[in-house]
Amino acid sequence: MPTKGIDYRTISLRDALDLAVLVEEEAKERYLELADQMALHHTPDAEGFFRFMADNEDKHRVELLERRHKLFDHQPSGVTREMLFDVEAPDYSEARVFMTAREALETALRSETKAWTFFDKVLPLLLDIGVRGLFEELRAEEVHHQELVRRELAKLPPDDAFCHEDFADEPVGQD
Amino acid sequence: MTLTAKDFKSDLKPIWCPGCGDFGVVQAMYRALAAIGRPPHEIAFVSGIGCSSRIPGYTTAYGFNSVHGRALPIAQGIKLARPQLLVLAAGGDGDGFSIGGGHVPHAIRRNMDITYVVMDNQIYGLTKGQLSPTSPRGLQTVTSVGGSLEQPINPLLYVLAYGAGFVAQGTPADMAGLTSIIEEAIRYPGFAFVNVQSPCVTYGREDQQIKAHREQMKTLVSLGHDATNMADALARAQHYGSELYTGVFYKNPEPPQTFEAQARERQTQLGPSARPRDRILDMFRQH
Repeated sequence: MPTKGIDYRTISLRDALDLAVLVEEEAKERYLELADQMALHHTPDAEGFFRFMADNEDKHRVELLERRHKLFDHQPSGVTREMLFDVEAPDYSEARVFMTAREALETALRSETKAWTFFDKVLPLLLDIGVRGLFEELRAEEVHHQELVRRELAKLPPDDAFCHEDFADEPVGQD
Repeated sequence: MTLTAKDFKSDLKPIWCPGCGDFGVVQAMYRALAAIGRPPHEIAFVSGIGCSSRIPGYTTAYGFNSVHGRALPIAQGIKLARPQLLVLAAGGDGDGFSIGGGHVPHAIRRNMDITYVVMDNQIYGLTKGQLSPTSPRGLQTVTSVGGSLEQPINPLLYVLAYGAGFVAQGTPADMAGLTSIIEEAIRYPGFAFVNVQSPCVTYGREDQQIKAHREQMKTLVSLGHDATNMADALARAQHYGSELYTGVFYKNPEPPQTFEAQARERQTQLGPSARPRDRILDMFRQH
């Protein structure tokens, strides 16, 4: 389970919404980190796509946060970032120097799948009807996101036969 | 004061290769430090030379990216001069067990309250892929095309044999586990060693990357390991290189007094009979 210290049997709707917000926040920050890595290592196509994903994750985060504020105003949260471990955020190990746009999209697809798996695994544990409804919605959203990524992947030509890592001349200098 | 991981992250962007295991290590470090709750200005983070030794610069703690293999002596000096600081040392397997190898036994037997994190990737990465002391026998590199003829050092057995009171191993493939191990190491009141299997994505073995770690790793807890039992710890540590055991190998249930605590006691005892500073040279004058 990519979370720690959360009891899904008793989690409230407020905390479940906060969890969803933090999942998106974690993913957004990771995409930004990966984008910065791509920029540093002169990999613009992947950089551009990761920044696009970061923006998307942030949009979802804002939507969920607005919903949370409407229902629970500024009540303190019982869930913190320290309880999450890459729920939807792509693993650092996904990145590669000179990765192609296709590889970046495949990374995003794996992350969306990871998030779907998380919501799917947690659902049987949830006892609160409101929280179940939320997690079912979030799980369905991930399916939609996967479809979007697959559609974009289908537009891309196949990668060439070169292994781009063979052309890496790492490490780079610190600015 | 509640601290979060972000409070420990500096503005400097890591230059590690995309996919490097060290990204996970620094993230685990941020989280562990946030859990400990000491503010960045109370932390001194010393490293040697290598890719992993860049880590202090990526934190907001007082950092010293020092000279090759010398993180431990400098960390000990800092701890003696400023015992109230939380002192961390970090480096790679080459920095720690090749050029820095001579410092490790003495840092261990001195037992200062320092946490030493080694990012073990079995290669010299910064210099573009030469054998390191933990490289497996037979490993081929650009400068050892025939394959290594040497048995690798076992860092776990090494530090256990020298009497380290806390020895653990982790991998960025298990971020929750790694964070927990680093936190526990920092909390241990004495010298603590954490070996992190942090693969080099550029010069490391294809079959030893994070994905492989996920499949291979076995937590010591799941194996019923008793971390208070030194003999058990030594037995498990023998499997370094063939098994990826994660968790705490050994934690001394009765941590001995740290060097700095003993030094303070000695100073208190000798204080009354101490000469005034301006009379100390009298000791060396011939009568």
